[in-house]
Amino acid sequence: MISVSSNTFSDRDVKLDLANLSAEQTALDIKNLNLYYGDKQALQNITMSIPKGQVTAFIGPSGCGKSTLLRCINRMNDLVDICKISGEINLHGDNIYQRHVDVAALRRKVGMVFQRPNPFPKSIYENVVYGLRIGGENSRRILDEAAETALRSAALWNEVKDRLHESALGLSGGQQQRLVIARAIAIKPEVLLLDEPTSALDPISTLTIEELINDLKKQFTVVIVTHNMQQAARVSDQTAFMYMGDLIEYSDTNTLFTTPLKKKTEDYITGRYG
Amino acid sequence: MNKWFKSGSPWIWLSAGGVSLSLISVLGLLWLIASRGLSYFWPAQIHQFDMLDEQGRSTRVIGEIYDRERIPAEQLIHRNIQLKDNQDMVERYLVKTGNRELVSLDFRWILVPQILSDENPADLVAIERRTNGNFYGYIEEVILDNYAVDIKKLPELVERAEIFQKQIDNLQKVDIGAINYQIERLRLKERKYKLDNELTAVKSKEIDNSVNALNQQYQKLETELMVLREKVSRDMIKVRAMDGQIVSINLENILRITFNNKMSFIEKLTMFFSQIGAFLSDDPREANTEGGVFPAIFGTVLMVLLMTVIVSPLGVVAAIYLHEYAGNNALTKLLRIAVINLAGVPSIVYGVFGLGFFVYMVGGSLDQLFYAETLPSPTFGTPGVMWSAITLAILTLPVVIVSTEEGLSRIPAAMRHGSLALGATKVETLWRIILPIASPAIMTGIILAIARAAGEVAPLMLVGVVKMAPNLPLDGNFPFLHLDRKFMHLGFHIYDVGFQSPNVEAARPLVYATAFLLVTIIVSLNITAVTIRNRLREKYRLLEY
Repeated sequence: MISVSSNTFSDRDVKLDLANLSAEQTALDIKNLNLYYGDKQALQNITMSIPKGQVTAFIGPSGCGKSTLLRCINRMNDLVDICKISGEINLHGDNIYQRHVDVAALRRKVGMVFQRPNPFPKSIYENVVYGLRIGGENSRRILDEAAETALRSAALWNEVKDRLHESALGLSGGQQQRLVIARAIAIKPEVLLLDEPTSALDPISTLTIEELINDLKKQFTVVIVTHNMQQAARVSDQTAFMYMGDLIEYSDTNTLFTTPLKKKTEDYITGRYG
Repeated sequence: MNKWFKSGSPWIWLSAGGVSLSLISVLGLLWLIASRGLSYFWPAQIHQFDMLDEQGRSTRVIGEIYDRERIPAEQLIHRNIQLKDNQDMVERYLVKTGNRELVSLDFRWILVPQILSDENPADLVAIERRTNGNFYGYIEEVILDNYAVDIKKLPELVERAEIFQKQIDNLQKVDIGAINYQIERLRLKERKYKLDNELTAVKSKEIDNSVNALNQQYQKLETELMVLREKVSRDMIKVRAMDGQIVSINLENILRITFNNKMSFIEKLTMFFSQIGAFLSDDPREANTEGGVFPAIFGTVLMVLLMTVIVSPLGVVAAIYLHEYAGNNALTKLLRIAVINLAGVPSIVYGVFGLGFFVYMVGGSLDQLFYAETLPSPTFGTPGVMWSAITLAILTLPVVIVSTEEGLSRIPAAMRHGSLALGATKVETLWRIILPIASPAIMTGIILAIARAAGEVAPLMLVGVVKMAPNLPLDGNFPFLHLDRKFMHLGFHIYDVGFQSPNVEAARPLVYATAFLLVTIIVSLNITAVTIRNRLREKYRLLEY
């Protein structure tokens, strides 16, 4: 059993009723979401509400559909030709899978950070302001300010402030991942999706990023996919356990790790499989 | 032994051998054309041979040794030439004797056994002329304005003649050329008005006035030209040729007078480089067998640059469509195979296509639409530099498409996803992320295209290259770049000089020199492109993914 008492970051005084969140408390409302890759169903009838301003973790064994679910939230699955989706994901009560939705605008509201750091082969500065430039911002002053704010929020400013115009590819893996986070938060999204953000990093970088996640939830709703249960326990407020495309259990992290309701959850978190 | 085989060493030796063989052949080729071509510019010794021929007559031959070979003595017996000692092989020299106005052939074979004496008198002179080739002999007299003067004044006089000659050239080509061009344009303007039924008396008068003004200018320049011509033809020299005849040569006809046998090594070196300079910057003379190749260099480079400008965007856009937008289906695959196979079509086929489609169809239609006033003489409906560039662009298109596509497919998906996840559309991602990263691959395609296009001659013979173009495609007359003009090309120049010229022997070193120049130009175009590519590579270097 994983100890949650060692939780150093989150405060979980307020327990939310995840089944009945009010509209203000909800960041994302997923309803009856089914996803098929060709004939294979990868997500089965997922229904869940993700609360605002908190960290929600998706855990589960490899291939359980947690990353797929995450990618549904900013429609990155649209890039897969054979992928078919039914059901709803509501952001502010609007279904993002409606026909008229501008996907680029959606992705500006729902930022994403990938497993492996993927900085562009440009300078650090240009990486951070990329999203703003795409949005049509060209004022030097505004870009400078935004870059500094984003880099500070991503706890990277002190390390790179003297070499903003050097290539981002000269940074270490952990710095690169924080740069990518800075890049994502520079355009001020509402939701930040993190797809196993530390799986390619060393323990110290991982710790830095975890601290960062805890800071980020003050400004953004964070959804994180991880296959590291300790990490989920450390950083998240809510945890969803998925298995074979099903959402098995979804509750606050404390409850899920200490008193899981389902047998499968208990088996997984006690390390019987996965 | 078995172990040696297993270790892989034989294969390493084999590969290394293959590499060395290729390298040696490339270097050998370069060495051959460089040495044959460059030796043409080196001032050779002028020999004076006294000979005794088979009938017992003595003759004197003056000239440069051009080539030497050994022939079987039997060959001479057939020609009833008896030699004293019975040798199997006889050496003979090919001597460039020049003096084309005296003897019909300016090259002559002489047999070494017939040579009585071989001297290099210091006052033998080689005179390079504008027409009739070189002249070899002794300077007898220098005549300035009908009076004989000291020979020491000669360099000064040659320089003076050269200055006037340059002024004449300038007057003829630039000033008078511009006037002719303007008169022609006025004529076309009048014709256009006539065709559109807009020719009023006022307009007609206006045009006539301008033409008259231009004609007056022309008259003025013509007089100036006459004055200059008179000035330049003032002086002459009298030269004694090898058979004792005295020949007068006007200084206006002289490019250079050199005492080759008197020159020091440094002087020879200076002359070597100045000859190369003249070769690079002068117009050809005497049906391309003498003079420089500047118009051909200019034409080649301009055509290749135009081709690059056309093929790069076209190829990149096509590759982007194939890779990014076309569905991954049978039709796309078919298209891709078709593109790759286009690279295998013989180049002359592209020439025929270019002539039929671009020149006659597109060019013909353009003429009817926009240049009706010049018809029936065609403007774009005839081979020209633009059609050549477009035809070669089509020819090299597959290369650019294939390497661009390869570059696009090498870009990690993470780059695209990163950009898309930041709210960029596909076009923005392509423009800001994908294309910059793919730019080294695009450059590789362009490099290959340039390498292929610069050496291509066959299709150009159909769509725009000529033996002798009177004007460069770029000049001082509006609109400056005349894409409809025909042009000269180094590749074609080699063929023309080497195989179509009236004086093959004289032109042979030029063939090597031009070939060497062509290789140099292609290599330098490539080096430029490779440098740009390496810069881009450095800039958009990706970490290992």
